[in-house]
Amino acid sequence: MNRSAAFASLIALAAASAVQAEDADSAAFRDAFLSGEADWAAVEARAQEEGTVNLYYWGGSDLLNVWMDRVVAPALSEKGVALNPVRITGTKDAVDLVLAEKNAGKGVGEGSVDMIWLNGENFATLKRQDALLGSFAPLLPNAANLEWNPDDERSLLNLRDFGVETGGAEVPWSGEQYVCAYNADRVAAEDVPATFADLRAYLEANPGKFTYVKPPHYLGNTFVQQAIYAHNPDGTGAEPFQQSVDQIEAGELARLIAPGLDYLRELEPLLLDAAGGTPRYPEDNAALDGLFLNGEVDFNCKFGLYAVATGLSTGTYPEAAQQFVFPEGTMIKNKNYLAIPANAPNPAAALVLADWMTSVEAQASKLQMTGMPSGIDSWMLDAAGAQAIADASPGLVGVTQDALDANAAPDTNATLVDVIEATWLEYIERDSTDPIEAIVARAYKNLSK
Amino acid sequence: MSASSPAVPDPADAALRGPSARERRARVWQMVQLAPIMAVLVLLFGGALVLAVLQSLGFAPWFGVNTFPDFGYFGALWGSSTFWVSLGLTLYYATVSTAIALVFGVLLALALVKIFPGKTFYKYLYKLPLMIPYTVGIALAVLMLSNGGMLSRLAAFAGLIDDPAQFPQILKTHYGWGIIAVYVWKQTPFITLAVYAVLLGIGRETEEAAAILGANRRTIFFRVTLPQILPGVVSSTLICFAFNVGAFEAPFILGGGFPDTLPVVAWRYFNDADYTLQLQGMATVVSIGLVAGVILFGYLAAYRRFERRMGRN
Repeated sequence: MNRSAAFASLIALAAASAVQAEDADSAAFRDAFLSGEADWAAVEARAQEEGTVNLYYWGGSDLLNVWMDRVVAPALSEKGVALNPVRITGTKDAVDLVLAEKNAGKGVGEGSVDMIWLNGENFATLKRQDALLGSFAPLLPNAANLEWNPDDERSLLNLRDFGVETGGAEVPWSGEQYVCAYNADRVAAEDVPATFADLRAYLEANPGKFTYVKPPHYLGNTFVQQAIYAHNPDGTGAEPFQQSVDQIEAGELARLIAPGLDYLRELEPLLLDAAGGTPRYPEDNAALDGLFLNGEVDFNCKFGLYAVATGLSTGTYPEAAQQFVFPEGTMIKNKNYLAIPANAPNPAAALVLADWMTSVEAQASKLQMTGMPSGIDSWMLDAAGAQAIADASPGLVGVTQDALDANAAPDTNATLVDVIEATWLEYIERDSTDPIEAIVARAYKNLSK
Repeated sequence: MSASSPAVPDPADAALRGPSARERRARVWQMVQLAPIMAVLVLLFGGALVLAVLQSLGFAPWFGVNTFPDFGYFGALWGSSTFWVSLGLTLYYATVSTAIALVFGVLLALALVKIFPGKTFYKYLYKLPLMIPYTVGIALAVLMLSNGGMLSRLAAFAGLIDDPAQFPQILKTHYGWGIIAVYVWKQTPFITLAVYAVLLGIGRETEEAAAILGANRRTIFFRVTLPQILPGVVSSTLICFAFNVGAFEAPFILGGGFPDTLPVVAWRYFNDADYTLQLQGMATVVSIGLVAGVILFGYLAAYRRFERRMGRN
């Protein structure tokens, strides 16, 4: 870890003086496509010449890996492009690689990453560092499957990613909602919590039967955001958290997040293993799934619209698992995306892959084989397409789509996520005695460094 | 270490009469022999070390940070009380596991030099953990000892507890039983191997002589055997301790969460989406190197003093 990080730095250092160069042919193609001069046939022809596409994605899901190998690879080879799936343990690894290569002077046609599956902070980082190819998404033929009209409020998740404008530099791939599941063998139906106060009451009767993934993992961050929305002292829920750090002052943010963080701090003594001294927060969703399956906790909260149906079919969820609406009114909903870096070695092949990934065919088979919700918008599809997506769904267990839609809330702005995460680490994990105002002010200062 | 090589002629002597062709060839050959290891040490290790120190002092223009020389990262790190707690935990896991593995390893080595039926079989059996990676050992610990593991399920099945979660917690506590168990399991054979090799080399004559002269077993061990196997003990514990201080996987997977050991703290900094924290991570890594370096140097210096007192050079 240390060695490779230092080695990457060495490369960056050696090339720091190199002029920002790029492959002229690839640059010309990029400019022609983004300006609308190159038609799709030209893109497909060039993609065949390029021959390969390097897709970097989180490889922690066997179902998704199988889908990539069995469905995506053959579909692309029909188009004359070989898929090179690079499975990484964290999306940040791919972002690091793109930035290291960019800083080493590698431009379009010269890097090693053609496409990354990402959202939130990782996209915001690439955007801030100007490391994205450009506004390609609305130009894809299958962009017709997505709502781009800003006047329609349903287009929000296609135009903004964690509050950051996508600018068409990434195309939606999958949609998700933060849904909790409970184990009906251990929790009676009338005890299932609907609000944070209910959860606390349940844990007072059954201490240790709940935990959430440790921030800064995004699953933990999202749980913390939901608690903050629900305890917003103004009662405005997610609304103020759509602004970026430049638009909201540290003191104001501290006032808004303090009740939610105080709730979480008071919840700590009731969490898993807290009776033994320190509460235990699992590192990732696999660890949380294990705790839920073993009956160590009664609830499992994560992004998983179809997690129960999929978990039951793979045996990773207990047999009596059911979804439920929690917390009422603040169930965060977002999308995840495919982005093309500025130094993609095969830009045309990446475009062909992005286009295929947003087709009805791809979305239906992904939904059916992996349980990952569709990223395209059903109201933009024809009747047959919408039906194909509906048929592929593994189904909800114990909740209705209407109930989930009625309780949906948007994500927190990516720049605020950094501040809230730093505050959680300081205030909850380290038990800092400083007031929240001071911690938030410090986080603002570190961020602007 | 002072390894003197007979192939190198006395420099003063050589300067007087000039090196013969044969001596020059020998010297060139020595250079060739040293080249691969020097390349690895100087370029890869030395280069990485220099860059790590530079970064920890604020030099990282590729992240848009360059405040070199800036001791603020070390200041922030050493100024927080959690750093010292983490350092204490790191040293606690490293020292306790090395000490336990040492006791087990020496006992095993002493047992193995004796002649007993099935000795060949045991000589192969004890080396088994050496061939199994740490990660597999960690996975075994999770499977067996965790609250959802085999032991807790068996206990629940047998009706000793109502629910696997009630099983006493062995892993993921700050006592670090899981971490220590994995290190001891893996390092006992390593220490045994080193001590056993030394024991075979020294033979049993001195021990027998001491026994004939009326020394009891305790005296024989502490006055005769231990001083002779000390080189093996020192070198093997040195390697184990250095590894334990810097190891990441076991405390990450089996540790008790915050406060973490220093390598895990460094990893958390590196893994954060905020790039500027990587410099804080580098300061942590350099601190681990400093602490381990000082302790190992002190250990070796103490050993050298002991050797001199014993009249060895």
